[in-house]
Amino acid sequence: MIVDRNNLPEDIRDLPESCFEIVGSEDISDEPFKTEAIGFFKDAIYRLRKNKLSVIAFWLITAVIISAIIVPHLTGYSPTAQNLAYRNLPPKIPGLEKLGIADGTRILTNRPKASLSEFPEGSIIQIVREYKASNVDMVDVKVDYYKFVGVPEGEYHWMGTDYLGRDLCTRLFLGARISLLIAFFAVVANIIIGVVYGACAGYYGGRVDMILTHFAEILDGLPYLVVTILFMLLFGSGMFSIVLALTVTGWIGTARLVRAQFYRFKGREYVLAARTLGVRDRALIFRHILPNAIGPVITRAMISIPGAIFSESFLAYIGLGIKPPNPSIGVLLSDGQRVLLQYPYQTVFPAVLISVLMVSFNLFANGLRDALDPTQRGEI
Amino acid sequence: MLKYTLRRWGAMMLTMFIIMSLSFWIIRLMPQSIFENPEVAPEIQRLLEAEMHLDKPMWVQYYYFLRGIITERDFGRSVKLRPGMEVFKVIVSRIKPSMVLNFFSLILAIPAGIILGTIAALQRNKWPDNLISFLVVIFISVPSFVFGAVLQYLFTFKFPIFPTLYNASASSFREMFRSLTLPIIALALGPAATIARYLRGELIETLNSEFLLLARTKGLTRTQAVVRHAFRNSLVPIANTMIPMITGIMGGSLVIERIFAVPGMGGQLVESIVVGDHFLTVALLIWYSAISLITIFIVDISYGLIDPRIRIGGEK
Repeated sequence: MIVDRNNLPEDIRDLPESCFEIVGSEDISDEPFKTEAIGFFKDAIYRLRKNKLSVIAFWLITAVIISAIIVPHLTGYSPTAQNLAYRNLPPKIPGLEKLGIADGTRILTNRPKASLSEFPEGSIIQIVREYKASNVDMVDVKVDYYKFVGVPEGEYHWMGTDYLGRDLCTRLFLGARISLLIAFFAVVANIIIGVVYGACAGYYGGRVDMILTHFAEILDGLPYLVVTILFMLLFGSGMFSIVLALTVTGWIGTARLVRAQFYRFKGREYVLAARTLGVRDRALIFRHILPNAIGPVITRAMISIPGAIFSESFLAYIGLGIKPPNPSIGVLLSDGQRVLLQYPYQTVFPAVLISVLMVSFNLFANGLRDALDPTQRGEI
Repeated sequence: MLKYTLRRWGAMMLTMFIIMSLSFWIIRLMPQSIFENPEVAPEIQRLLEAEMHLDKPMWVQYYYFLRGIITERDFGRSVKLRPGMEVFKVIVSRIKPSMVLNFFSLILAIPAGIILGTIAALQRNKWPDNLISFLVVIFISVPSFVFGAVLQYLFTFKFPIFPTLYNASASSFREMFRSLTLPIIALALGPAATIARYLRGELIETLNSEFLLLARTKGLTRTQAVVRHAFRNSLVPIANTMIPMITGIMGGSLVIERIFAVPGMGGQLVESIVVGDHFLTVALLIWYSAISLITIFIVDISYGLIDPRIRIGGEK
C-alpha cells in the first residue's frame, strides 16, 4: 500500500490503487557507505598505532612477557637449586665473551703473590697490579673466574649467579613472571571489585549510594603505605597475601570512576527505553550502561599495573615480599643491593628489567588513554 | 566554610581511630608477637607483660592502648631494637635525619620541576620539550630505589666523590650534608618530574587563554607574558601536588633511607618490621597515617578555599 487512505479527503478515498503514481524516484535510499564503518575500538586501535612510543612500549612488554614464560625453561638451571661452589659467578655469554664483555672474568684484589701458583691451571689471565704490603708481595690479578672456581667448560650463566650460586638469568625471568602475575591478579581483582561496587552505587543511587560511598571514603582515607604494610603483616609473606594487600584499598579509584559513569548514563533515553521493555537491573547495569565505562576502566587498569609492580618490589625491599626461595624482581633487587659495590651485575639486570617494564607500561597506558579518549575521536 | 572544615576534621579523626584500631588488632592477632626472647627468664617476662598490660583480656588491652596514646602519647616501649626505650622517644630521635633529607630534596625538586616545566611549555613540541618529557617519563616510572642504587654505584665506587653511606658521626653539618647528597638527589628526581609534568600541562592550557592573548597584545613578549601572567595562574593547581610533598617531609622514604643507611623514620620502620618490634611498628604506622591524613585535610581545605563550589557540595 502506497498511501494511508484514512488521511485522504472523503471524495477521493475510494479511488482504486492504479490511479496513484509515485512522483520521483522509485527507490528512496541513502547512498551506501563506500568506506568501512569505523567503530570506537577500531578507531582507538588506529590511533594507538599512530603513537610510535606506545607501539614500541607494547612490543617491549610483549617481549618481557614472552621471555618470562619461556626463558626459565630454556636456561637449563633450576631457579632455586643452590650450588655454594659457584657463588657470585660473573656473567658469561657465549659469543659476547670473545668481545671482552660478559666473559666471566673478574679482578681479584689483594692476593699474596705466592698464592698465585695455587690458582687452577689457566685461570690467570693477567696481573693487573703488583705492590708490596708489609713486606709481602701482593698482586691484583684478573682471572677467568669460571676456571678459577672449577666450572666445567661450556657452562654459561648469562647473568651470573647470586650469593647462593643460583643462576640469575633463570631467577630474573621467573621473578618477572611472578611480579607480572602479582600485578595482573591485583589489577584484575581491583577492577572486578571496583566495577561491581561502583556500578551498584551509581545505578541504585540514593541511600545505597550514600552508604557505599561513605564506606569507600573511609577506606580511602587509610594511607596506602600503612594499610599495605599492616595487611602484609597480617597475611604473612607470599604471593597471595601481596595480591590481597594491594586489593584492600586498590579498588576504590575504579569504583569512583564507574560510579561517575553510571550517574552520567543512567538517565539517558536508551536506558529508559530498555527499562520500559522490561530489561532487568542486572542486564541494564552490565549490558547497557557499563560498556560506556569500559574505556576509562581499561586505561585505569593499564595505569595501575606499573603501580602494582612497584608496590611488589617495594614490599620485597622492606622485607615483606614473597616467600623465599621464590624470586621476584623486588627480591632480586634487594638481594643485589646488599652486594652492589662488589657484584654490581646482580643489581643491574633486575634494575634494567623493572625500569623497562615500568617505563613501557606507563608509555603504553598514556597512549591507550589518548586513544580511548572519546573527545579525541577522529583525530590522528 | 567552618561547617565544611569541621566535617572534614571529624572524618579525619574517625579515620585515625580506625587506623589505630586496625593496627592494634592486626598486631595482637598475630600469635606470640610481642615477646619471643628466650634469654629473658619467665618470671621477668611475666612481670614485663604485667607492666604492659599484656596479661589482661584483649578488650582491656585495647582500652589501655587507646588511653595511653590519647592522654599520654604513650605508645608502649620498644622491645627488640631499643629495648626498654619509650617508643615515642625513639621516634623523636629519628625525626631529624629524615626531615633534613626530605627538606633538602624538596628544596632541590621544586625549583627544578618549575624550571623544567616552564621550559617544556614554552618550547612545546620542540626538542627541549621532547627531551624534558622523555626525562619526566623516566623519572616518574623508574623506581627511586633503582636511582638510589645507580647513584650509589656511580658516585661512591666508580667515581668516589661522595661517601657510600650516611655519616652519622659527622663533626660538621657540611660533612653530614655531603653524605646526604646522593639520597637527596635520588629522592628529588620523582617529585621534580611530577611538578614539571603538571606545570607543563597547566601552562599549555593557560597559554591558549584569552587573558594571555591580551597580555601579548599589550606588547609583552612571550616569556614576559608567561612568567608574569600564565605562571601565576598555573601555580594554584600545582600547589595541590606540592602539599603532599611538603607534609611528606615529616615521614621518611623507606627504601632510600635503607639503601644509604640514613637513621631516619623510614629506615626505622623497615627495621622494626624486619625484627618484629611491634610496638614501634604500630607507632610508626600511626605516625605515617597522621601525616597522610593531615595532608588530605589540608588539600581538602585548600580546595575549598580556592574553589567555593566544593565547599557547599559534598552532596551529590
